[in-house]
Amino acid sequence: MFKNNLKVAWRNLLKGKVFNLINIAGLSVAVACCILLFLTVDYEFSYDHFHQDLKDIYQVYTTENRSSGIEKNTSMPEPLAPALKAAYPAIKFVSRYGNGQAAVRYKDKQTNYGIKFIDPDFLQIFTFPLAKGNIKTALQDLHGLVITENVAHAVFNQENPVGKTLELNFNGELQNFTVSGVAKDFPDNSSLGFDMLMRFENFPNYEQKMDRWNAGNHSLFVRLQPGIDQASLEKQFIPFTSQHFTESINTIKRDGSIPDASGNVFTLNLLPFAQNHFAANFFGLEGNQVSKVYIIALMAIGIFILLIASINFINLNVARAFTRAREVGVRKTLGAGQWTLIIQFWTETVLVCLVALVAGLLISSLILPGFRTNFRSPVTLGLLLQPAHLSAFFTIFFLVTIVAGFYPAWLMLRYKTVQVLKGTVNTAKPGKVRNVLLVTQFTLSTLLIICTLITWQQMRYMQNKPLGYNRTEVISVPLGREMKGSKAMQLLRDKLQSRSEIVAISGSANNLGLGTDGSTSTHIVGFNYNGREIRTNWQRVDYDYLKTLDMKLLEGRVFSRSFSTDSNSIIINEQMAKQLGGKNLIGKFVTIYDGYPKMQVIGIIRDFNFRSLRDEIEPLSLNMENKSDISYAFIRVKPVNLLSSYDNLKKQWHQIFPNTEFNGSWLNENTERQYRSEKRLSNIFISGATIAILISCIGLLAMAMMTMVQRTKEVGIRKVLGSSVMQIVVLLSQDFIKLVLLASVLAFPVAWLIMNKWLQSFAYRIEISWWIFGLATMIALVIAVATVSFQAVKAALANPVKSLRSE
Amino acid sequence: MIKITELEKIYRTEDIETSALNKLSIEVKEGEFVAVMGPSGCGKSTLLNILGLLDDPDGGSFMFNGIEVAHFNERKRADLRKRNIGFVFQSFNLIDELTVFENVELPLIYLGVDSAERKKRVEVVLDKMQIMHRRNHFPQQLSGGQQQRVAVARAVVNNPKLILADEPTGNLDSSNGNEVMQLLTELNEQGTTIVMVTHSEHDARYSHRIIRMLDGQTVTENLLV
Repeated sequence: MFKNNLKVAWRNLLKGKVFNLINIAGLSVAVACCILLFLTVDYEFSYDHFHQDLKDIYQVYTTENRSSGIEKNTSMPEPLAPALKAAYPAIKFVSRYGNGQAAVRYKDKQTNYGIKFIDPDFLQIFTFPLAKGNIKTALQDLHGLVITENVAHAVFNQENPVGKTLELNFNGELQNFTVSGVAKDFPDNSSLGFDMLMRFENFPNYEQKMDRWNAGNHSLFVRLQPGIDQASLEKQFIPFTSQHFTESINTIKRDGSIPDASGNVFTLNLLPFAQNHFAANFFGLEGNQVSKVYIIALMAIGIFILLIASINFINLNVARAFTRAREVGVRKTLGAGQWTLIIQFWTETVLVCLVALVAGLLISSLILPGFRTNFRSPVTLGLLLQPAHLSAFFTIFFLVTIVAGFYPAWLMLRYKTVQVLKGTVNTAKPGKVRNVLLVTQFTLSTLLIICTLITWQQMRYMQNKPLGYNRTEVISVPLGREMKGSKAMQLLRDKLQSRSEIVAISGSANNLGLGTDGSTSTHIVGFNYNGREIRTNWQRVDYDYLKTLDMKLLEGRVFSRSFSTDSNSIIINEQMAKQLGGKNLIGKFVTIYDGYPKMQVIGIIRDFNFRSLRDEIEPLSLNMENKSDISYAFIRVKPVNLLSSYDNLKKQWHQIFPNTEFNGSWLNENTERQYRSEKRLSNIFISGATIAILISCIGLLAMAMMTMVQRTKEVGIRKVLGSSVMQIVVLLSQDFIKLVLLASVLAFPVAWLIMNKWLQSFAYRIEISWWIFGLATMIALVIAVATVSFQAVKAALANPVKSLRSE
Repeated sequence: MIKITELEKIYRTEDIETSALNKLSIEVKEGEFVAVMGPSGCGKSTLLNILGLLDDPDGGSFMFNGIEVAHFNERKRADLRKRNIGFVFQSFNLIDELTVFENVELPLIYLGVDSAERKKRVEVVLDKMQIMHRRNHFPQQLSGGQQQRVAVARAVVNNPKLILADEPTGNLDSSNGNEVMQLLTELNEQGTTIVMVTHSEHDARYSHRIIRMLDGQTVTENLLV
């Protein structure tokens, strides 16, 4: 029986070539997309799962319940780690985790590497196994250094690195460190990454801050004893918090707070590390967080595409089943039972699906390189071979074949044998189910069109919105670690300022946008002013900052070499001015740090978006304090020959710093780089919508072809009775057009809800306008009309004599 | 073998009721060859469908081999059908995707006969119908007469007690038509009961008895033998 079914299935597959090709094309494209999308989703969910004790690993953070809102901060003070470990036996291991960069010299080779400053427990909290060395002893020595295999290979090539000494410069002076371990290279799906690990005691300014409870500068990870409950431990933290964070608690209470359900305004909490990759609204979180919206969008698009293709498959199978009514009748007459027929239909479906599956795998392997680049996805098809993936893959495959194969068979079996045998089953009248399925398809397609239009509009808005500084003529260059930033800055000035293409040169501790070094940092200080706490972004800048970035000074003056006191002066933005009371601020003094000189306000500048447009502009104070160093140079060039100006700068750079890489980039590139995830989302929507529409149209085309064939006689009679070609085209197309219109109307509210929620994540955003919906409907309609009317015109132009005779 | 009593079949559309069989009573004995004749719409095809358990009556009794089958469910009907009844249609109703051999083999597959036995039985019947040389051809590659011979082969391959033929020569020329009628006669002579619906007086003369119908009722019965 099975052999017979397979034989018939194969012959049917070959017989309906066009039909099956349409069916297989749609399904295989959907399979390819789903494989890539679902693997990407799975990859994102697999983040950090390689740590063996993941369920016991947490990151410590503070929650401040201020009247202005809840703030969750992961930047911890230095004395917290030892105090926690001493106070709570439930905490098995604890490690601080500070970020740094170092210029690393070995023999005559020098390269920049990322360093993490950690406590020895770090290697027992996380699973970063050592290829050489022992996790328990590798960082016993303060000058021990664990490097990755990658770094070991780059620096030492074939030499054994253990015991070798490297010269590192991460705080302005060269120090010797001895390699005590080599960590195996870790997987891509790791939130924590490092080139080198060294003891936290080496962290810059460690000693000044080792007793300060109100200055955070690092992340803090703990591994709890197995079975410890997170919530109850957090409760136990409350007296500890009251004891050590008194100053912070009092400040929050004084400035206005909304206590949580237990009446606390400041708490110490634990974030499960397993949630780190998707965590949102935490300040200073490590790793590359991904918005759940993005993952949900990926999953939704994958499901949509699979659904649309399955709907096609079902619709086409149903239409095709009706053309095989007589065969079903004959088989029933010869004694075929219901299940025999259902299994026969199912076998045929499985065969088509199998072909589509193989084609889909081929397509996905072909488009994989493009997919990896465009969506920055590291997936490989090899991931499919994991048992969990294989079983999920075949379950979905099986379900699709069940639905797509059983439904048409069930439909056919509802008719009496005599009816199907005589061919009196009415195939011309579209079924309700078919209409529902078509509407579902076009609702999903229109939804994706609207999402595409809105993300595209928001992207354009963000790219074009004036940010309050010159983005197109300024090159930002990370200064590296070869020497102190301010010294590097001076060398750059000396070399460049006489050149004709240079307009101005300045520098800052923080970059604008996201530079090629991929580094972002924010420094926020809080201080008391007129009896309340003021918090401001604190940014070290160099002379000519405003001139270089073309910013507007509203009041006062800029930093000037003629004033020796300017290292104790600040220039504030409008938001900061508002915080300080708004009026007559020039000349006023504020005390930022106790025991340090007061800072005088010398200028007020117009607000500018120093962060991405996701965030509101916050209070900002520009200063020339020597405490922090310049890390980025900004060079403004004349607006002519921008490319050659960039090349010249690169040449000059290599003359000044022969050992340091030139990582300069235009500020507009930096700001665009900030929106990579949005760009990625937008690309996904565009690709998803295109594929969804393409597959929907394939289905619509096939349905139109079927309908036209079924209505041939009707068209013939109408033509004989005097109907014009146009009237017939309208008649044949209108049913489909009505369905597409209905689908659009259904898609509107859903699209509005989803995109409105997405837009809420931007402080600066577009308003969703009605024309987006109109345009989306037009697009869907034009595509549908173009698909259907071609068939309708063909049917209308056919010779009525022929069509009537054929009936 | 067949005894139907006061059989009724009514077709309903939204506002019209048409009585296809109107309290029809007929008896067919085992080994008989009966022709059913009458104008279009008299109910003869409906009768054949009910006899073949493809359709169910709205009233009356249908005894098959002494068992009341009028209200059998689909599963029971399918089972009774595949073991006892063979069909020959005017339009042959061969499955285009299957070869001659596979078409004839199909009833045996549904009966669960094993592969070797199937091969033997199909070859015997194809040989008997003189189409063995066409066993690997598809229906479209055969003439009308050959197709109907395949259809007859398919109808008899499982040795049914009853063959129901619906205008078996309707799509054939006279020479092929005669051949098919000769085949049916031979089968009848070997003991198979045959009920044939036909418009052709010529074909009807091959039978033992002609039942003439009008408006769902029997008008006359002529015994020919």
